[in-house]
Amino acid sequence: MLYNVFVDPFVQMADMPDLLVQVLWEGTVAGVLYALIALGFVLIFKASGVFNFAQGIMVVFAALTLVGLHEKGVPALLALAITVGVMYALAWSIERVVLRPLVNQPDIILFMATFGITYLIIGLGEFIFGGRPKAMITDQLFLPRGAIDVHMLGGRVTFQKLDIAAAVIAGLMVLLLAVFFQKTRIGRALRAVADSHKAALSVGISLNQIWVVVWFTAGLVALVTGIMWGARSDVSFGLQIIALKALPVLILGGFTSVPGAIIGGLIIGIGEKMGEFYWGPLVGGGIESWLAYLIALIFLLFRPQGLFGDKIIERI
Amino acid sequence: MSARDLPRDPVPGETLLRVDGISLAFGGVKALTDVSFDIRKGEIRAIIGPNGAGKSSMLNCINGFYQPQQGRIAYRGVERRQMRPHDAASQGIARTFQNIALFRGMSTLDNIMTGRLLKMHVPFFWQLWRHGPAMREEVEHRRVVESIIEFLEIEHIRKVPVGRLPYGLQKRVELGRALAMEPELLLLDEPMAGMNLEEKEDMCRFILDVVKQYGTTIALIEHDMGVVMDLSDRVVVLDYGRKIADGSPAEVKSDSRVIDAYLGVGH
Amino acid sequence: MFYREAGQFKTSYQDDMAVFPIRQDRIGVAIILAAACAIPPFLDNFVVGTVLVPFLVFSLAAVGLNLLTGYTGLLSLGTGAFMGVGAYACYKLTTIFPGVNILVWILVSGFFAAAIGVVFGLPSLRIKGFYLAVATLAAQFFLEWCFVRIPWLFNYNISGAIEVPNRSLFGIPVVGPNATPLTRYYAILAIVVALTWIASNIVRGRIGRMWMAVRDMDIAAELMGIRLLRAKLLAFAVSSYFCGVAGAVMMFLWYGGGEAKDAFSINLSFTILFMVIIGGLGSLTGAFFGAALLHLVPIFLKFGLPALGFPIGGATAEHLTHIIIGALIVFFLIVEPHGLARLWATAKQKLRLWPFPY
Repeated sequence: MLYNVFVDPFVQMADMPDLLVQVLWEGTVAGVLYALIALGFVLIFKASGVFNFAQGIMVVFAALTLVGLHEKGVPALLALAITVGVMYALAWSIERVVLRPLVNQPDIILFMATFGITYLIIGLGEFIFGGRPKAMITDQLFLPRGAIDVHMLGGRVTFQKLDIAAAVIAGLMVLLLAVFFQKTRIGRALRAVADSHKAALSVGISLNQIWVVVWFTAGLVALVTGIMWGARSDVSFGLQIIALKALPVLILGGFTSVPGAIIGGLIIGIGEKMGEFYWGPLVGGGIESWLAYLIALIFLLFRPQGLFGDKIIERI
Repeated sequence: MSARDLPRDPVPGETLLRVDGISLAFGGVKALTDVSFDIRKGEIRAIIGPNGAGKSSMLNCINGFYQPQQGRIAYRGVERRQMRPHDAASQGIARTFQNIALFRGMSTLDNIMTGRLLKMHVPFFWQLWRHGPAMREEVEHRRVVESIIEFLEIEHIRKVPVGRLPYGLQKRVELGRALAMEPELLLLDEPMAGMNLEEKEDMCRFILDVVKQYGTTIALIEHDMGVVMDLSDRVVVLDYGRKIADGSPAEVKSDSRVIDAYLGVGH
Repeated sequence: MFYREAGQFKTSYQDDMAVFPIRQDRIGVAIILAAACAIPPFLDNFVVGTVLVPFLVFSLAAVGLNLLTGYTGLLSLGTGAFMGVGAYACYKLTTIFPGVNILVWILVSGFFAAAIGVVFGLPSLRIKGFYLAVATLAAQFFLEWCFVRIPWLFNYNISGAIEVPNRSLFGIPVVGPNATPLTRYYAILAIVVALTWIASNIVRGRIGRMWMAVRDMDIAAELMGIRLLRAKLLAFAVSSYFCGVAGAVMMFLWYGGGEAKDAFSINLSFTILFMVIIGGLGSLTGAFFGAALLHLVPIFLKFGLPALGFPIGGATAEHLTHIIIGALIVFFLIVEPHGLARLWATAKQKLRLWPFPY
């Protein structure tokens, strides 16, 4: 038993390094996608202190809008542009209808309000586009298909071109966001708001405007995530449950750290793929569904503030 | 203010609490450095000092909310190393807070009833039925709480959720909650901050009455010098986390270092 | 007009601490209880089976979750799984000891849920808020996995489902295919009334004040001498007990068997949580209001609208339900964060003074 848990998996890894690389790569790709969802959370949490439970459904909604529009005969690129517009409209209405009236409420109330948003968007999406899964319009968006086989370590490792594209695009987007935060006027205002709402208000930053910008940015991130994820499987509401995996990612990386979200995403992605592949069979498989939460939970007990968070000093 | 004129036993009793060489730091920031003083049974001991002098941190050390890195705290002659806040509570240390820390969703009555929690022991099984021993215990403690409510003259807000009460009344409810614990040592963190003159006079009267009626020892943080000079038996002065003076109100008032700390050097 | 407390003087603290200190409230509750007992025999089996029975089950679960989330301030997304623990515990118990009355086992199965709840409540000492929500998600997904992967739990049935056996009480079938909706309804009603009464006893006494203190300001609560871990674990235990019983009731007295994995999914956790939010955090009455609203809206859309002459497809009804529930949550959080229960209390307060505004 102990051998099966502590020795055998590592023997397998050493015996078949090509398989190990394959598993690591799969984990990395899953991790990148988790990280993208987590990134959307972090953006909103930083700027408005709202823990946006609806990020997962925003991913689904964005992808659904894109595909749905294309189904109705709109050319792919135009559909993409319209979807961007829809995400802006969504951000604007959320700010107007939900956030503005709830200013100064306790965090937990805002958190629960995003449950409401989640259900609203689920209902709206189903109402407009129907509840059935749809295929992502991969080709029309010029995303690559097929795979590259690399012979290495005495075996063959397969890299899906799509996965490579996902990793590259995710990397680009993080870079872009970083530049946006550091160099632009809005980015500076954003960081100011993140530090203190009151102080930002007092120097003339419009909170409402910032919130729209942030939710819109999170919407764009959601769109990219939705395209990538939709292309790997398909666009369905089931994705929303998978998006919950962003929660353990956030716990590892901290709620306010962009690099944290990425590293946390990779740890969770790789961790759960390795766990499933090497340890899963010991207990009958399927442990992917909860392993991420367990990792986060164990981690929390030792470091409640996350990887990059500061130590919390309680005051009274 | 004529609080001093009230008849009161000046008790130069035995030492209730002794703080010895306390140092406390958060990361690199030193909140307290080598602070020592004692509190005697039955006295009103004031802790004063400019903002950020470490007064609240001192109280937090005393009731176990912060663990000082160095130094010893002896309460009732028993020295302790590590202590959790609930241990302090069960040993008879109660406190109020600078920023009111009431249970906002609960009524005045329930808030003060929480002060009796440590004295209620009827097991869970009886709580399920709310009959027999559980009900008797509930009524018995309600009686005590009602006497505190009467003492603080807050009968009319008995069933109002405290979140809706004005500031002054909230402070009074908080005092009531601490009193319900029947503490031996009561720590008051700026009980009169933000009050108008009339409310302050009421609060002073309550504090003096508490000492007289219940024989409670009080450690008091306060900014209003008039109040401090009138109420307290002895004063300890902190500045930048260090003790700079200790003695009777009159002694402290004339201490040159205290004047420097309050008015700046070179006044 | 009729809702006046004038002339009702309380002569002891005991009277003042009664559940319903105002006479009219006592009469109202008595009428509701009497109606709940007397009317169902005259109702259609369909109404009893699809409206009343689920309403009571949801209410019980919502009362349970409210003890944890509303009274103690600990957010849980694992309600569905804790309910599942209750259902499986009951299934195993009645399989192993078929002679013992099923109602006894339903009540006992709650203790298993309580034990599991305590285990997953342990992290609550160090983590709060959203973080705790993640811990309870771990419970949800882990337990869901157990329900599928441990065949012992469902007696190695090939279908992987719970098969509810026939069990009788005083010769009347209560559980299983032979039980009528009406008998099942009465069995549930008895359980729900009894447990709600117990819940109200707990929250009004020492334990309830301890929980609310932890909810409102945990640091101050600790300085009052409350041991946080104990208080939180007790909340997890009691809450999970209620949820466990609700789960057992759901499987045995409502579903009558089936694929438990689907029944006790994360969606159930959310449904119960929404009932608590919309009904009112920290109010037992609210739990019933929330359960009624969230359960009745879909039924109304599905059956009520077509009956009124608005044809509406099943799928569309479901989509509309999502929109309405979402809108309701947002609406209540904005307009009345204390939910339907507070609206009810405000209405009563107005009635007390009517026709005067103050």
